[in-house]
Amino acid sequence: MSVSSGRKTIRILRAELDKLMTLPWIWTAVTVTFLVHLLLTAAFTSASLQEGAAAPGILNTGLASMSYLQAGFIILGILAACSEYTGGQIRTTLTVIPWRGRQLFMKHLALTLITIPAAFILTASGVLYAGWRLDGHAAGVEPHEVIQALLGATGYLTLTTLLSAAIGALLRRTLPALVILLGYYFIISPWSRGLLPAYFPDTAGRYMYLLPSSGELNVLTPVQGAGILMIWSVSLVAVAIVVYRIRDA
Amino acid sequence: MKAFHAEISKLLSLPGIWLALLIGALAPAVIAALDAIAEKEAIIAGVSTRLPEMGYSGLGLGVQGVIILGVLAVSSEYRTESSEGAGGQQISTSLMVVSSRLQLFLAKAGAVSVISILLCILAVILIVPTTRYILGDYAPLLEWTRLAGAVCYWTFTALLAFGLTLLTKQGMIPLTMLMINSSLVSFSVLLAKVTKLAFYLPDRAGMEMFMFTKNSASTEVTGSLFDSYHTPFTGGLIMFAWVAVLLGIAAIVFHRRDVAA
Amino acid sequence: MVLTINNLVKRRGTQEILSGITFEARPGRVTGFLGPNGAGKSSTLRILLGLDHATAGSALIHGKPFAELQHPLRTVGAALDGSGAHPMRTGQAHLRWIACAAGLPRSRVEEVLDIVGLTKAAGTRVKRYSLGMGRRLGIAAALLADPEILILDEPVNGLDPEGIRWIRTFLRKRAEAGNTVLLSSHLMGELAETVDDVVIIKQGRIVADGTLQEVTGSHSTLEDAFFALTSEQAGDAW
Repeated sequence: MSVSSGRKTIRILRAELDKLMTLPWIWTAVTVTFLVHLLLTAAFTSASLQEGAAAPGILNTGLASMSYLQAGFIILGILAACSEYTGGQIRTTLTVIPWRGRQLFMKHLALTLITIPAAFILTASGVLYAGWRLDGHAAGVEPHEVIQALLGATGYLTLTTLLSAAIGALLRRTLPALVILLGYYFIISPWSRGLLPAYFPDTAGRYMYLLPSSGELNVLTPVQGAGILMIWSVSLVAVAIVVYRIRDA
Repeated sequence: MKAFHAEISKLLSLPGIWLALLIGALAPAVIAALDAIAEKEAIIAGVSTRLPEMGYSGLGLGVQGVIILGVLAVSSEYRTESSEGAGGQQISTSLMVVSSRLQLFLAKAGAVSVISILLCILAVILIVPTTRYILGDYAPLLEWTRLAGAVCYWTFTALLAFGLTLLTKQGMIPLTMLMINSSLVSFSVLLAKVTKLAFYLPDRAGMEMFMFTKNSASTEVTGSLFDSYHTPFTGGLIMFAWVAVLLGIAAIVFHRRDVAA
Repeated sequence: MVLTINNLVKRRGTQEILSGITFEARPGRVTGFLGPNGAGKSSTLRILLGLDHATAGSALIHGKPFAELQHPLRTVGAALDGSGAHPMRTGQAHLRWIACAAGLPRSRVEEVLDIVGLTKAAGTRVKRYSLGMGRRLGIAAALLADPEILILDEPVNGLDPEGIRWIRTFLRKRAEAGNTVLLSSHLMGELAETVDDVVIIKQGRIVADGTLQEVTGSHSTLEDAFFALTSEQAGDAW
């Protein structure tokens, strides 16, 4: 009654999806992020209407709250990873699925499957809202630009979530992971912008959704930005898996 | 007094607190240094409008240490993360040792305040040589009144973190809210562009105690972090009102809530 | 032999937690793994279940390390300390993802909930469970795939008298049906009526190993034998 490796893998993925879906915090995080995002987009839209700047961009306004939005996805990643270490669930997980590398990989895959639609819906709703409010005031945008920016933003948020999950899995504790990630994304990175090269996960990843015409000098193309962020995320997930295999649960 | 001593020793035995203290002492100096480096040329050329802010920006935007302090002081009592998963919450023990909840609450708030004040003084001591090293003779002298305002701002921020965590019983939400709000992309700054009411938010009002350059509200409000809208005194008063109301609610909720709830 | 633990050593930093543990657990018998708090019982079981890595020696199940088992949940059912469930999940949701990972039908979840008497609390979040209910949930997870080996860490801890009696008869029945049961405990009185074989551990070393009669020896009860074996040099014990 040997089970094929493929079916075993599917089972692990389904179990990991099941785990994420039945964790109420995940849904709270996504819902709160969605509401805050809409509020902030409304604020940005009003601000750009008030300023009366010449032709505010629908995409720039709709995606203006990306820097806040990423906080929600950082939390999502940390929650997914650190929830294992609450209530001793990790012991159950590892006695049911003792293949550590495959288990943690599947957890990240399950998280990706949840994050992609969530990120897309969130970013798209922001852009739609801005498009509706700025209708007539804003410069026209090409549909392919919108799609490109939305895909870029979705990819950015998904990769950021994976990176956060990897940090969470390495640290095993919610608050330290949160302090480090928020500290980097919101304190260190904004202050050191211009001092550090654009090869850090957030600075490189930004080019995935920024429009080429957005004024500042574009150092990277969206594909280059995506590539650099992907290298960061994938290598951190790999480090997390290696450490997870070596250390005591 | 005994309860207060107990709270201090409880706090100082948490490894996370030491990290918070380290961040609290160093972050302002680092931010002040980065800010000074960025403004150095303009200051030497004599065209900088931000000279009076040098050093203070570190105190205004480097409050992460006391935020973590305030959050940890409460969330450590409720934590359930442990590899052995016993799930024992320290709060039950704390309430057996100090049976009066109000006393426990005051002792904890007192411990958080005292540590914040000391931490802010330490941060100032580190900022002075930093700005002096970078700006040399151009470095502005720090005034006592404004430094006192900064100490108040830090303590109030720590107490806000403390009260919010007590209400939510977990550290994630208050930590995220306050950390983001202490950053360059603060919600308050964004909201200030939309409505003047945002100037009454605790952090925005509190910063007026020590971070203002353009005097009076007569100049056009641009929503910049460095515009003054209140006088330092009213700014402090507004933030204090927020702290008082929040701590009042937290005290009532903490008093009435079942430990297990 | 079903479970073989051979010369197991575990060091954390400079501290030696286990210094050469060797014992076996046989099918059709309940093996009691006894020792005072901090003697190394849980550490041994954690290594046996692949949660922690051994510094030296081996802990094997059917001659293989736990992680190499084809069907871990169908081979070994384990309940360590606590419920092993995330406090925000419901008991039912907890068992469901385990069933999903092991490829078991969902109906099995209702069956084990019924066996441990948690049917009414199935939809309640684990954080609302009492200590005993949490233990019952842990045991339910261990029974989910009807495994041939049961490994339970302090199973009677937190259970009410009724629960203790239930688990005693339950474990006896499992053993009589030819299964292997290994349980750890520091409660001697509760165990004497349940176990066939006894292994006593103290400060990371095995101090006695044999059938209940052999270990009890000339002492009147297992409890007396236990104290005689574990407290002689232990001046720090109380």
